[in-house]
This record gives sequence, structure tokens and C-alpha cells, in this order.
Amino acid sequence: MQAVEAIQKALQELDRPKLQLLALSSVGIGLTYFLVWRRKAKKSIPLGDGWWGHGQQTLRDDNKIYPFKVETSEDEINDLHRRIDQMRYTEPLEDCGFQYGFNSNYLQKVVSYWRNQFDWKKQVAKLNEYPHFKTNIEGLDVHFVHVRAPHRPGQKVLPLMLVHGWPGSFFEFYKILPLLTDTKDDLAFEVICPSIPGYGFSEAPHKQGFCSLDAARIFLKLMERLGFNKFYLQGGDWGSLITTNMAQMKPQCVSGLHLNMLAVTKRGVGMLLSLIIGPYLPFLVGFTREDVRRLFPYFEKNVYDLLMESGYMHIQGTKPDTAGCGLNDSPVGLAAYILEKFSTWTDRKNRDLEDGDLEKKYSLDDLLTNVMIYWTTRSIIPSMRFYKENFKTNPQNRVDARTGIFVPMGHAAFPNELMHCPLPWARWRFKDIRSYSYMPRGGHFAAFEEPRLLAEDFVKFVRKVEGKKR
Amino acid sequence: MLLEVLLALVLGAVVLLVLRRSKAAVLKTEDGWWGAGSPPAGAEDESIRPFRVETSREEIEDLQRRIDQTRPVPSLEDSQFNYGFNSTYLQKVAAYWRNEFNWSKQVDKLNQYPHFKTKIEGIDVHYVHVKPKNLPEGRTAVPLIMVHGWPGSFYEFYGILPLLTEPANADDVAFEVICPSIPGYGFSEAPRKKGAWTRLGVPQARAAGVAIANMRLCSGRPGFNSVCAARVFLKLMRRLGFGRFYAQGGDWGWQITTNMAQLDPTAVKGLHINFAPVENVGPLVILSILLGRRFPGLFGFTELDVKRLYPRVEKMLVEPLKETGYFHIQATKPDTAGRGLNDSPVGLAAYILEKFSTWTDHEFRNLEDGGLERKFSLEDLLTNVMIYWTTGSITSSMRFYKENFAKGFYPPHARIPVTVPTGVAAFPNELMHTPKLWAKQKNHKLKTYTTMARGGHFAAMEEPGLMAQDIQKFIKVVEGKK
Repeated sequence: MQAVEAIQKALQELDRPKLQLLALSSVGIGLTYFLVWRRKAKKSIPLGDGWWGHGQQTLRDDNKIYPFKVETSEDEINDLHRRIDQMRYTEPLEDCGFQYGFNSNYLQKVVSYWRNQFDWKKQVAKLNEYPHFKTNIEGLDVHFVHVRAPHRPGQKVLPLMLVHGWPGSFFEFYKILPLLTDTKDDLAFEVICPSIPGYGFSEAPHKQGFCSLDAARIFLKLMERLGFNKFYLQGGDWGSLITTNMAQMKPQCVSGLHLNMLAVTKRGVGMLLSLIIGPYLPFLVGFTREDVRRLFPYFEKNVYDLLMESGYMHIQGTKPDTAGCGLNDSPVGLAAYILEKFSTWTDRKNRDLEDGDLEKKYSLDDLLTNVMIYWTTRSIIPSMRFYKENFKTNPQNRVDARTGIFVPMGHAAFPNELMHCPLPWARWRFKDIRSYSYMPRGGHFAAFEEPRLLAEDFVKFVRKVEGKKR
Repeated sequence: MLLEVLLALVLGAVVLLVLRRSKAAVLKTEDGWWGAGSPPAGAEDESIRPFRVETSREEIEDLQRRIDQTRPVPSLEDSQFNYGFNSTYLQKVAAYWRNEFNWSKQVDKLNQYPHFKTKIEGIDVHYVHVKPKNLPEGRTAVPLIMVHGWPGSFYEFYGILPLLTEPANADDVAFEVICPSIPGYGFSEAPRKKGAWTRLGVPQARAAGVAIANMRLCSGRPGFNSVCAARVFLKLMRRLGFGRFYAQGGDWGWQITTNMAQLDPTAVKGLHINFAPVENVGPLVILSILLGRRFPGLFGFTELDVKRLYPRVEKMLVEPLKETGYFHIQATKPDTAGRGLNDSPVGLAAYILEKFSTWTDHEFRNLEDGGLERKFSLEDLLTNVMIYWTTGSITSSMRFYKENFAKGFYPPHARIPVTVPTGVAAFPNELMHTPKLWAKQKNHKLKTYTTMARGGHFAAMEEPGLMAQDIQKFIKVVEGKK
């Protein structure tokens, strides 16, 4: 009250020209701030358009949705066996564990299981347990699995799309699907698991330039075609970027966005400061003790380790056709390439073990089924091209990197994920974070490795969002 | 007054001593053993055994069967070689390989020169030994070791060998040439032992007195790196009775021959290299990068230098990033990277021949056929690939990258200069361009620096005539001075 009186007194003491100046400058400052703020706070990114089929676009999109069944044949299985038998073994260095890549000795064990015990027909039947479909969008056949919740009275069913990454597939979600669709309480989900174009049963683009923005737009069209105008999104790896782009393109359609991997976008001084002060005075920069434990020593974990692990990204981001060529002829080579990630990205300490501890969290049946999806569809090269298409333009200058995300977001931070993003850093881009959880265990392939933990956190996030709505 | 002068003299002497000592630093190394298990008790078998490259019908049929099984994936429309080896052209190469390429004939061609093997530090080292046939009276051949790189082999030198051993010009020097295979490549046995590194945390590194700069936060024993290869090849030359010899190399061959000159400067009479990347970026190099475009004369920059180095960001950052994916994956996960290539000959050919295209001329990336047959014959290219294929050595060849970069980019030998007479042949399309000023920072006795008329990374194979000419020029300068 006194302050107001003081201000009033000060104002009265000013003479006319000064008052005018004050008024004008206040308006001026206010206007500038408003304009700048409005320009910065772009709430969405343009949709764009595209066409990825052969040659020129001639016909309009056929909007029909066709049921699809995964199939196999004796020929396919015999060809696989023949190629496995032709494998030319290279002796590993003594005592090298997984430090030089997939250990040759352990690879022989995996391959022997694949050749003699793995039953692809049985796995195909397992894949077909859920209904598959294909539909043509922007010139490409897009594959997806559509799982409806069984009708239970009093249960609210919300639509959800789960997007996979590399070197995964829709199959990674097969363990979490029942936990989300077949619940006994008041909330269940109707789930769509598409395959990114170029991966698995989705047709690969024939034109250059197909990046995450295009995948996002195609998936938005898919949801629209299926009749969903508001839905949840969940993703990790490329799925995290694609679902984020979807939320940026049509925020009005996205009820909530749940991510298990957050790419850290460099933010200059703010980040530098938090890196310098963080280890010593974490609370000053908004870090928790857990953040400090996961982030530091920074150089070791985030620079050195990333350099050690990003060779694949470098070659796939520059020469995908060369990198994938041999893998498309050699199933053993393909398995080594893909399964090395399932070992190292689940826990980096696995690099020191002769068997990469691969079977601690995953069964060989599940791992090889994922590899078979890449093998039978010959999609390893197109899957790698996705890296080049996304890194062609500097990713930090792309329109989506410079725009915020305004839909409700939830993050499940798994301890062995490739990189850790503390809450204050996530806030730079995600303007409405409703839940941020430190998960007790798990790595990069969260849905595959810890389906229950991920499902629980996702549902917790959804309840928070739905709760606020009411 | 006298006291001041004395003090100055003493100080000067101390400074000189310190400077001299650092300049005359010699690369140190320990002995190694790379065979399986532990070294045997007795003395090593030092015999030199003749070796013949052989093949069999099974080997050729197996290759053809695998080529038939290739599952091609079409390249994106209009992508040429920008995404890697173009699929359409790869099918043409595969068809030639399957139906026209004659491996038996190529094996005979390989055997036209005598091959040998000898055991050094526990592994069989292969080499080709070529002596001049018609040496005039009273002349002795000059011994020369030529070391290949990746993804090349001793076969790259088959075009230049006759020019060096039987020079047309009577004035020219006749050489006796040794072309070894780097252990882990082709017919040389691969090392079985890995590097034993333990990463130190920063406090432990400080306690151990290990330098924290340059990512060298580790202690331990190195794996088979270029210094080990250099040591092995020095032993080879000694075993063959050559006390003093010349060395020539590009790619890894440059690194290995440079290390040989650093390990034993008395043995290496002269060093000729066609690849000379800067390892230690000192203040003079930085200054020249910053000001070289505006003031090329100040740094002795030629037109080619300026064209190759500027614009800076594009030429020194973007271009190398585009071309070093293979390097990154091989230096971190060689066993994974090589795994598929050892089962799929077409995959192996795509991986290797992509380099023969792009590293000969970056512009070839925009050609549907990668310009591959403009400078090389498919016969020669596939012979090189067959050396990797028939020996199953692609994975061990990749491990060399990991062993060399375990300690980051500034190992001890990067900071030690080369004090033997050196000649640099700077080919215009080489991967990394090194102006004369930069070459001088490392090679303190730079005798010749030639800007070659044309040619890229695989210089000996692409332009044997030009390369032989420059080697002759270099030798004459070194021998003439004597």
C-alpha cells in the first residue's frame, strides 16, 4: 500500500513531458516484449507434405485399411539356415569381452541356438496374436498393430500410439501391450504400434529426405484415418523424436506425451553453468542428488562414452547403403550388429563380459524375433538411411529444435539410458512437464526390458493429466 | 660485468641443452609378443619360408555361391554414391565378379613376384621381395620398404614395382623392394592379444601423474598399433640383412614408416610419404589456418593449398565428418563392423570399393558408377578385395584402428618429430591436404615437397608413373647430398 502511494507521489512530481516519455517508453517496452514473446512462443511447427513412392505421384492416396498377416515359408527358413551354416568365424582377441564389439565366441552360441532351436514359425504365430494392418499414406504402405481393449463396464479407454526406434521394432512393445490394454481397473488403452517407414513391414521411402518430421506427419494422418482426434503418445529412441514432432505439429490432438529418452539439446551458457556448479551445489541449478550421480563425471559419461558408442551413428548417418550392404546378406552379421546394442545399451558395464550379459534381461527368442523382422523384410539399409536423412541439415537448426513443446509431458528416466536429461534441462523445451520419474532400474530398451515399470509410470502420468482435466 | 656474462652463458647452455634434448627425442618402445597363449621358452624361429598364394575350386565356388545369394536393396532415386555404394552399379560389379573375373589368373599374377613368410614376435609376417633382374655391373640396388594401408594391400604396389626395380632411365636408381603385409592384413597373421587399458577417473589419473589433457585418462599396455608394426618391420629388415634402407608409405603405411624413422633414425636413410596429416596442431599451424587465406604468401601457401583448405568449416570439419564414419565405428567396434563383411563378399566389396571411389576424388560421389573404372580396372580392384576375402582378414584389419586410437589422438609418437630426410608427394585429391609449412613441423629434414599433377589417396595404384618419378627425385636429392 505504501509502495503504491510512493509511486503515485513520484508520478505526480513529474512534469508533463517526462510523464509522456514515461508513458511512451512503457508502452514501447511492453509492445516489444509482447512481440518478442509471441515470436518465441511458437506453439506449433508446420505440417508440410510429402510423397515417397516410385516415380511421380499419379493417383491420390487410397485411404483403405487392409488387414495384414505376417507370413513365412520353408524357403525363407531354409535360406536362413543355409546362410547361418556358411558363417566364417573370426577368432576374437584374448579376454576382450564385448569391448571390440560383439564377442565372436558368444556369437557362436547365439547362432547355434538360432540355427537349431529357434522356431520362426512359432514366433510368427506369436506376432500374429495381435491384429496387423497396412494402409497407404503419402505413397507408402504403412504397417501397424492395432490392439483394442476388451470391453469392460465402467472402464475408460484412451487411444495411445507407441513408436519404436532403432534397432528395435513394434515387437518391443509386445510385453507392455497386455499391461496397457488388458487392465482390470478403470483405465485402459486402445493401442496403435506402427512401424516407421523403412523399418520392418512398413514400406521404405523411395525418395531422399524422409526424416522424423515426415514420419510424424504420416503417423498423424494414420491416427486421423483411424478416427482418433485426441490421443496419447509414448516413445523412446527415434520414437521419442517422432512423437515429440507429432506433438509439435498438432498439439490440439495430443492429450499427453510420455518419453523414456530425452535428447539433450545444447543450450549454451545455461548448460555450461549447471555443469560447472552442478557437482558441488546441485540444488542451486535444480539438480537432485540422483541427477549428479547419473551425469557426472560429465566428460567420462557424456563425451567419452558417447564417442565410444556412436560409431554406428556416424557411419549410418553418412554411408547407410554401404554400412547395411553386408548385413543384408549375412544374418549372423546382422544379428551381431543389432544385438550388440541390446547388450551395451542395456548396461554399459556389459562391455566387459564375454557374453555381454545379453540373456540376463532378454530371452534369445525375443531378441532373435526382432532381428528376424529386419532380416525377412530386408529393411536394415532403409532403417539406417533414417539417420542420414535426419542429420542432413544441422539438427540443432531444424524448425523442431527451435520450437517448444506445449502438450502435457511425462518423462521416465531410466538409470542406464544412454544419456541423462535432468528436469531443469528438459524444461527448456517442454513447457508443461507433469511427471518426471527416476526409474529404479532399466536401460535404453525400456519397454522391452522393464515393461511393468514403464507401464506403471505411463499410467501414473496419464492419471495426472486426466485428473487435471476434470 | 663478468658475473652477468657468465650467468648468461650458463643460462644459454641450460636452455640449449633442454631444447636439444627435446628435439632429439627418440621414440621408445618395448618388445611384444602377439601369438596365442604365452611365448614359448626357447629362441624364436627366425627362418624365412617361401610362400605361394594358392586357391582351390572350392574357394571359387563358395565365392560364386555367395555372390548368387546377394539380396540387393535399391538405392534411393538420384542418390548416386552419396548414401554409400550405389546399388545398381554394385550389381554390375557383382555380375562381373561372378562371371568374368578369373581368380586363378590373378593368383598367378600375384605369384609373379616371390613371396615369403617369417615369424616375428609370435606372428607370421608375409612380404613380397622383388630384386632387379638386370642390374648393370658395379651397381647395387637400393633397398626400399613400401608399406600399404587400409583398405589396401601389398597388391597396390604391383603397378609401381616394375618402374622401381627396372627403371627405364639409366640415370634412375634401381630398387630392391620389400612389400610386407601389416599384421592382421591379408597373408600376415593377425595379432591375438588386445590392448590392456584401464580407464582412470580424474582423481586417480592425477595421483598416477597421467596427463589429463587429450583424453589420455588410461594406463596399461597398448595393443598392436602402428609403433608395434614399425618395430616388427624394423626387425624384418634387419633379419633380411638390410642395415640401412629407404621407406615409402601412404595411409597406415605413412604412420608405420614414420614410426620406423622415429624408432631407429640410423636405419632409415630416407622417408618418402604421399600422406602427411598433421597430428600435433601447434601455434604456427593455427595461425596459418586463421590468416592463410588472406596472406597465403606469408605461409608459403600455393593456390592448391588455398583451394583445398578453404572455406575452413566446409573443408576442415564438414568434409572430414562426412567421410570418417567408417573410422569411428572401426576404432570402437571393429568386431561388430567386420562381422557381416566376412560372410558377404558383395558387402565386403561395397565397403572397400566405396573408398576406392570416394578417396580418389570426392566428386565421384555424384556419379552413378562412382567413377570407379576411370582410374582403376575392376580386375585390380577385385584382386585387392579377394585378398581380404580369402584370408578372412577384414575384422583384424579394422582392429588396427581401435588399437591406434585407444589413447586418443595424441599418442607419444605424435609429438616427436622425424629427423631423417623426408620427401612428401602431395597429390591433389588426397583425403587430407598438407601444405609444405605443416609438413615441415613434423618432418624436420624435409628435402622434397612436390605438388603432384593428379591423383588421390591410392596414389601408387592410381598414378604409379608419377609416384615413381617423385621417389626417384627424392632419392637423388638425398644421395646427391651425400
